[in-house]
Amino acid sequence: MKLPKYPLASSDKMMTFEFVSEGKKGLIHKLVKYQPTNLKGLYNLAFGDKDLKTGEIDDEVISNNGDSEKVLATVVATVYAFTDKYPDAWVYATGSTKARTRLYRMGISRFLEEVTQDFEVLGERNDDWETFKSDIEYEGFLVRRKS
Amino acid sequence: MKIANELKKRKTPIVKIDKSLDKFDDKVLFPEKLEKANAMLKKVGLPKQWTAKNV
Repeated sequence: MKLPKYPLASSDKMMTFEFVSEGKKGLIHKLVKYQPTNLKGLYNLAFGDKDLKTGEIDDEVISNNGDSEKVLATVVATVYAFTDKYPDAWVYATGSTKARTRLYRMGISRFLEEVTQDFEVLGERNDDWETFKSDIEYEGFLVRRKS
Repeated sequence: MKIANELKKRKTPIVKIDKSLDKFDDKVLFPEKLEKANAMLKKVGLPKQWTAKNV
């Protein structure tokens, strides 16, 4: 995506990414984590705020740092980096709340044309998977890199 | 300038490796999310659209 993004740092295996959100509330450290699920090759994308004092991660906090678009674009950038390293990986994402899942959907919808140039995107609805459509509410999303 | 513009257009970002993040790789940082994802996979299963193509 041609949107502004934050610089990224990652672990050696590119399973954990970190970036710093800069907004009206100051600097907020964010972690993006690709966690292996019970199914081989399928990873759960999770992200949240890192408390620098305790080292704890909070995935429910609403930072309201006024940069949600840049944050979302940076998270998408981690999907590119992760699937560059692991091209056969499938990535599942859902929000910690319905509102956040809706935010993800809006983010995917907004850049659907661009995203689908590089990824196949499915939406989870009624206990099934369907090709992602912008105007439908989903419970989660599954993406994989186009080969 | 040209390089700066090129960097802006890149889809795959330049990522700096920070070994201090390695410690998070094997940690389950978001256990509820992982549990939720595993429960969903058990219930919904893998997408037929993709698994059929892979057979």
